[in-house]
Amino acid sequence: MTTVEVTKKASRADKPTEPLIFEKQVEGQTGVDFPPLDVPKTDIPSGTVGNGISLPSFGQHDVMGHYTHLSDRNFSVDGNFYPLGSCTMKHNPRINEWAAALPGFSCLHPLQDDDTIQGALRLLYETRTMLEEIAGLHEVSLQPAAGAHGEFTALKVIKAYYADHGQSRRTVVLAADTAHGTNPASCTMCGASVQTVRTVEGQTDLEHLKEVIAHVGADNIAAFMITNPSTAGLFDVNIKEIADIIHEAGAMLYVDGANMNAMVGLIRPGDFGADAMHYNTHKTFSTPHGGGGPGSGPIAVTETLAPYLPVPQVMMADDGSFYLDRSREKTIGKVRSFIGQFGVLVRCWTYISACGPDGLKNVAETAVLNANYLAARLQDLYAMPYFNPSEGKFCAHEFVTVPRDLLDKGVTLIDIAKRMIDYGVHPPTMHWPVHDCFMVEPTETESKQALDHFVDVMRAIAEEISMDIETVQNAPLESDIARADEVGAARKPVIAFVDSE
Amino acid sequence: MDYTQLNFSHRTEMLQAIGIDHVDALFQAIPESIRCTDGLDLMPAQSELELQRSLAEMANHNHGAHDMICFMGCGAYDHFYPALVDQLISRGEFLTAYTPYQAEASQGSLQAFFEFQTQIARLTGLDIANASLYDGATAMAEAALLATNTTRRSEVLVAETIHPEYLAVLRTVLSDLNITITVLESTDGTIAPSTVEANMSDAVACVIVQSPNIWGQIEDWEGCFSIAHQTPKTAAIAVCNPIACGMLKTPGECGADIATGEGQPLGNALNLGGPYLGLLAAKESFVRKMPGRLVGMTTDEEGRRAFCLTLQTREQHIRGAKATSNVCTNQGLMALRATMFMTTLGSDGLKVMAEQCWHKAHYLAKELCAIDGWKLKHEGEFFNEFTIVPPFDVTEFVNKAKSRGILPGVTASGRRMQGLSKGNELIVAVTEKRTKQEMDTFVEFCKEVSA
Repeated sequence: MTTVEVTKKASRADKPTEPLIFEKQVEGQTGVDFPPLDVPKTDIPSGTVGNGISLPSFGQHDVMGHYTHLSDRNFSVDGNFYPLGSCTMKHNPRINEWAAALPGFSCLHPLQDDDTIQGALRLLYETRTMLEEIAGLHEVSLQPAAGAHGEFTALKVIKAYYADHGQSRRTVVLAADTAHGTNPASCTMCGASVQTVRTVEGQTDLEHLKEVIAHVGADNIAAFMITNPSTAGLFDVNIKEIADIIHEAGAMLYVDGANMNAMVGLIRPGDFGADAMHYNTHKTFSTPHGGGGPGSGPIAVTETLAPYLPVPQVMMADDGSFYLDRSREKTIGKVRSFIGQFGVLVRCWTYISACGPDGLKNVAETAVLNANYLAARLQDLYAMPYFNPSEGKFCAHEFVTVPRDLLDKGVTLIDIAKRMIDYGVHPPTMHWPVHDCFMVEPTETESKQALDHFVDVMRAIAEEISMDIETVQNAPLESDIARADEVGAARKPVIAFVDSE
Repeated sequence: MDYTQLNFSHRTEMLQAIGIDHVDALFQAIPESIRCTDGLDLMPAQSELELQRSLAEMANHNHGAHDMICFMGCGAYDHFYPALVDQLISRGEFLTAYTPYQAEASQGSLQAFFEFQTQIARLTGLDIANASLYDGATAMAEAALLATNTTRRSEVLVAETIHPEYLAVLRTVLSDLNITITVLESTDGTIAPSTVEANMSDAVACVIVQSPNIWGQIEDWEGCFSIAHQTPKTAAIAVCNPIACGMLKTPGECGADIATGEGQPLGNALNLGGPYLGLLAAKESFVRKMPGRLVGMTTDEEGRRAFCLTLQTREQHIRGAKATSNVCTNQGLMALRATMFMTTLGSDGLKVMAEQCWHKAHYLAKELCAIDGWKLKHEGEFFNEFTIVPPFDVTEFVNKAKSRGILPGVTASGRRMQGLSKGNELIVAVTEKRTKQEMDTFVEFCKEVSA
């Protein structure tokens, strides 16, 4: 087994902060010029002209310097191990970026006639059909801009279906107590109320599910939103029974596809009874997270729900040409402008085409293998409530640790997380889905060497907690900044820069 | 290639460490009956070289602003942006970072978003802005929700002259929330303040007016918003074009409480409609109800300036069903492009760009109106987009233009524009990128068709 020497970054004192652009402004300088006006001028009525805005500018070389310095103050998948649970921070292949930047894709206006964009429509149509196959569901809409937007869109579709079938009273949505925060928030935006279903050891509590249905009344329930594998990082062993119970109640099973990376090519939501789901292409299909976006959240639904999907829909005509259908009779309407996150979907097509069916299956298997390997190597020091290989309890593509023994020695979870930054590792997701936990998702694209390095870092921190606890308590010591005063930031929010003069 | 990096001996060692013989053991929780045993029915994997070929072939089957003369607008514009934007944005440190929840490991993204927020606030003439939303349409819907949430009122007045897709999205978003949408009718392509007045009541949460509007016309924001403000608490929402803000009166100058709009013109490519950039700016008083991520300036424990995500108790991951919005992912990378673009141009560069749009659009309008039978649909002022009525069927005209390598504009009738018009109009946009020669070519073609 390779041992990796743990290396630390240069000291914080060596790194000056980068001034704001408002402080770097140079009067009369801009970073780019324009050609002289080549048409006669037309008077601009004084009533329309503003007093002038104040946006700073300076020379081009310093613009490059500014953003290069800022980029140096970021952790990233390219530069760091980034095991952020539920976020699937996998490698972002650069062929994806190359593809999206092709002028034949990037220079298309969204209102052009279909006959001028046949290549783009073909790509969208193929993406649609590939995502239908991966979901095992009838039809995909590529419109939603992100996962939460997909949830919103799919819930609208489900509501529209019930309204169309005289069951408008189905306004309650069930969600697991470990659901992503977007699930209940999306329900609120659809005018639905949420009832929580308990999980036990990361698995849906079937008895509680039945109780909730009895309590709410089967006729009032629109859907159960479930994440599989669950946000505790476990495959729900009862998923088929859950689907049966929900369908028995006349409601729909909605699958939050955030954890699709553990299923792709192995299990299809449609095969275990899902009626609707969303993808996060920025998780499963390697489109970059970009510091917060853009994402893309295509939804897949059954044939029953398909008539209600948003417009436009990309279609193939009998002659093999492609067109945008804007006239679906029962559609919920539009959920965003134009066609969708086209540039993101180009990257998605490229990734799926690079993997192929066998590659996608290997993605899920390797993601699960990597997570279980890390869990196995760390379980002696970092307690894992749901992981016990000797009892046949494995995790899916991510695992939860509640390091109680370490916390009892006098550190907080945040202390450990901040110490990881000193070692060049991005902290995992924290305090979610349960308090005092890390949720670790290594993804399939990490090498064994990188996994072993992470194990070494985590073991080194555990040792520091025993030998030199103050170092951990005061971490991070070597990052660009010490701990940020987040409480102060919220108490007196400074959201925009105001010049002091 | 699936981008995994384990060889056979790695896998063997790892299985040993877990204490199992085969990777299948990890999936025993999944019942056989629901497994995808036949494998996915997808095309076989393509190597990178093959991908480059097939993608280039698909891209070559498209024609657009790169190989045609583009006069299309209506919410998406073919503007210039400096080459450095593409170069800088491809730095993996920005491209492959997550949402900056860990402040100490994300100062780069955080500072850039803070600068973006400040630029957008200044551009719109308001106090604060968030770190972006999905696009112009969803940002406008979020602005309306912000107003209904803060006022606890249930009626939204919206100008008939806003982008029809924005109105369509607004209808979808509000449809289950017991909020009434009242559409304000226009007179000669704009909303008269008296029309706002006639529809005002204590139930009105907000008045939404877009300027320049879907026809390209500059609206009387000041007139409409001063009427709106005669009713206490009613929010004035301006839907703006960020390039126009470089020259025309800003939403803030005209009395808007909230400004929103499509940020694509700020350094983002056309991309067939996405990914784009939803802008949302507001007066300070809205800060605790704003949807989406906000970056705040603070200090670290050692007194250094620092940045962090702030007021997260507004957001879904803390508040769930009671959050101000379900928004989680935003358009970070597009916001980063926009801030790089604005930093490179500054207000001086943006003003040059906006003025060139104005002069060029007016030049083309004048030349087209000089052709026998061609006339502008409206008499009001416009910025970089206008609506022209040719003396023949516009659909056929567009087809002819395409065959000559021209995208002459957007036809106002038809389903694509959500039934905006039954008339024979063409909405024509001119950016700083269009040369006199390109415009003259277009005018010659129009004369030829007219003859």
